[in-house]
Amino acid sequence: MSSRQLSGILLGVVGILVLAIGGLSAILLLQGGEAQISTSTETQGLSSSAEIDTANRELRLPGSEPVTLDPHLVTDASSGEYIVEIYSGLVTMNAELEIVPDLAESIEISSDGLVYVFSLREDAKFHDGRVVTAEDVVWSIQRAASPELRSTVTLEYLKDIVGVKEYYYGLNTELAGVVALDERTVQITIDSPKPYFLAKLTYPSAFVVDRSQIESNRNWVRAPNATGPYKLAEWNLGEWSILETSEHHYLGLPSVHRAVYTLAGGSALTRFENDELDVAYISINDIDRARDPSSSLYKYYQFTPSMSVSYIAFNVTQAPFDDVHIRRAMAMAIDRGTIAEVTFNGMILPATGILPPGVFGYTETDKTLPYDPEAARDEFAKSKYANSNMPPIVYTETGGGASAGLDTQAFIEQWRQVLGLEIEVRQADWASFLDLIDSNSAQMWGIGWSMDYPDPENILDIKLHGESRENNTLFSSSTINELLEKARTNLSVSERIAQYQEAESLLIQAAPWIPLWFGSNHVVVSEAIEEWFEPPMTLPRLQHIKLKD
Amino acid sequence: MLQYAIRRISVLPLLLLVITFSTFYLTRWGPGDPISVIAGQVRDPEVLAQIREAEGLNDPIYIQYVRWLGDASRGDFGESYIRRGFTTWEVISPRLWVTGQLGLAALVVIFPIGIFAGGLGARFRGSWADPTITLSLLFAAAIPGILVVAVLQWLFAVQLSLLPVGGWGGWIDIYWIAGIVAVPIPDPHIYIPLTAYTLGGFVGVARLVRATVLEVNRTDYVRTARAKGLSESTVQRRHVLRNSLLPLVTVVAFSLAGIIEGSIIAETLLGIPGIGSFLFQAIGSRDYNAIQALTVIYSATFIVMNLVADLAYSLVDPRIQVGETS
Repeated sequence: MSSRQLSGILLGVVGILVLAIGGLSAILLLQGGEAQISTSTETQGLSSSAEIDTANRELRLPGSEPVTLDPHLVTDASSGEYIVEIYSGLVTMNAELEIVPDLAESIEISSDGLVYVFSLREDAKFHDGRVVTAEDVVWSIQRAASPELRSTVTLEYLKDIVGVKEYYYGLNTELAGVVALDERTVQITIDSPKPYFLAKLTYPSAFVVDRSQIESNRNWVRAPNATGPYKLAEWNLGEWSILETSEHHYLGLPSVHRAVYTLAGGSALTRFENDELDVAYISINDIDRARDPSSSLYKYYQFTPSMSVSYIAFNVTQAPFDDVHIRRAMAMAIDRGTIAEVTFNGMILPATGILPPGVFGYTETDKTLPYDPEAARDEFAKSKYANSNMPPIVYTETGGGASAGLDTQAFIEQWRQVLGLEIEVRQADWASFLDLIDSNSAQMWGIGWSMDYPDPENILDIKLHGESRENNTLFSSSTINELLEKARTNLSVSERIAQYQEAESLLIQAAPWIPLWFGSNHVVVSEAIEEWFEPPMTLPRLQHIKLKD
Repeated sequence: MLQYAIRRISVLPLLLLVITFSTFYLTRWGPGDPISVIAGQVRDPEVLAQIREAEGLNDPIYIQYVRWLGDASRGDFGESYIRRGFTTWEVISPRLWVTGQLGLAALVVIFPIGIFAGGLGARFRGSWADPTITLSLLFAAAIPGILVVAVLQWLFAVQLSLLPVGGWGGWIDIYWIAGIVAVPIPDPHIYIPLTAYTLGGFVGVARLVRATVLEVNRTDYVRTARAKGLSESTVQRRHVLRNSLLPLVTVVAFSLAGIIEGSIIAETLLGIPGIGSFLFQAIGSRDYNAIQALTVIYSATFIVMNLVADLAYSLVDPRIQVGETS
């Protein structure tokens, strides 16, 4: 066969294929053409806005696709990050974590601590310019608590309001605890005096939504008309979302006029290095690189604590963790200080107690059971499992079945060396993991808790009160329960703090949990940002960020 | 043939019924459920139980399935649990388009290059060029996609700053020269995933083409054609080309299906908003509605591509009369 003929054949084949596939592509391209169009309008939008200078006042952030932008349904931090910018409620938390009025301008609390009267600001407005009325607030809370909405979180945050539980479970069609006294005044009545109630109201469950929009447009959540400092300007599923300042917000123009969250695109750190993002969060694997003074990332690196704690939990009804000595022995057998220094290069913070920094009642002194192999062995010897009957122990953590977390590996090794315990690690994907914990079938597991408001009630009462349905350790101590109940309604700040601190130290001694690490954020921030604000929990943050002029 | 196609297509619903029921059953039978996942860290078991009840997740599985089937047959795949406020279809359709674009682009690259390489191999059979081509393509196919993606990202995006690290910007960008001449240029986001998708595909096509060209050249009818005194070019065009194409046509459809199936890892790594990365998320968060809808899409793609391959066979080779028993 001659080469001319062969190339003829090949050309023919190639031609046919290119024509066939090209034709098909052309059809698909025409159908999917809008994707291209929206890209080009976006570029135009960048330069066309007249009064708000979005082009130079833009912040490019890594983002996650929000699960929902409905403030009454949100449960995850990544959705929450958008929601706290777009919506707002009667009260909010400022950068110092103080509770301050937001839509309300003044708050009066009755002397018995049961009745809260909020007067709304006159300049509290929705993004479309409409003034927020007391009726908006009442309707929003009713919606959040309505049985039809099926919110998993409303009850936790609003159950203190008189009538919310009955309303949520459909036992009552009236919500007595929230009323509009007049156009500008809302009155909320709670079931007992709770000093943390206002803190709970900063959570999105109590945010204000626009009734007329929700009732007229079933897709309202894609362009919510709300009361926060930023409005959702664009949201392209899976690609980007853009927040722009609301010209009707009472704060006036913040430094960041426009925040572009890229929802896709792989590693944020790599995109930061490629100047596609102004900010990127650094995972533990990349920290060494960012902290190395010779690295190009070094000068951009910032470190801030976050208000969360990770811990090992025991199911105290399952052997061998029904024995307090075993739990204490395991806590004393692990050397978290050295693991933090050696394994993690000092980049994670050993927990000094259950309450993370920033929470009322936190102290710097280390209250945890100290690393002490001798004492751990003594403690172990006191247990009923010391000589015989030690059942097999399985430690459950989330993961994809690869090697265990670095800290887990270190703990397993130390338990083996100090106590002679052989502990098996079982990894489960997140959904299966939750299933194991919820069904109380795990013996011990590693997990964390992020504070939703900086009050000890948010962690001690919810997770460790003996009667809380969310206490998966099933640990219950009448002394601790009593302390937590007293603290719940104690209006004296100093007494309350003392009660929580006592409960915390009793809990550490009884060891249903071993507190491990306090959370921290490692972030690189580009030179375009003069002042970065990294809140320790989900808070409205864009208004606090300053861009360079 | 039309009858055959109709008959094959009419089996599609039955197949989908079996597949969707199996998926439906398996996802609900395994641990975890969407309510548990969307609850996050605040998880009052009583509240979750009440919501499960209200969502109908406590009903017997066959009743849930019949309900799903009723809605699905009207085109209603429900709301995605991890993109609330959007129907499953609204979440999936733009992603389907992204995955489809990448898949088609990969075919456009794989086939011409694969065919060319295979043709060269056949042409230079016996010389050093033949095994070199096959070996180097085999080598390219042996590199895991994960590695290809990482290396390309490091080199072209981080070190050379030529390409974006990930994400998606459409297929082709149109550049206007002086506002008159439109020049289509591939979007910079497409190079890395395209390379990862195609590297493994060349060798299959090339080897198939090489083998068929050689085989067809040895067949009796080609010998007969030559013996009839037909010119070599006519022999190659009429007999060798037509018959060498035959097995290839069946591979086109399967390749596309394979690329779409294989997109899960590459899309997840590169942050490409296609259905592969979404399936990964949907399974992780037990988004029942999204998993069901994606199952329908994946299975239907496979079944239809299979049918296309069969029909293409009979179009190319008149000896194969699909569905007509003689």
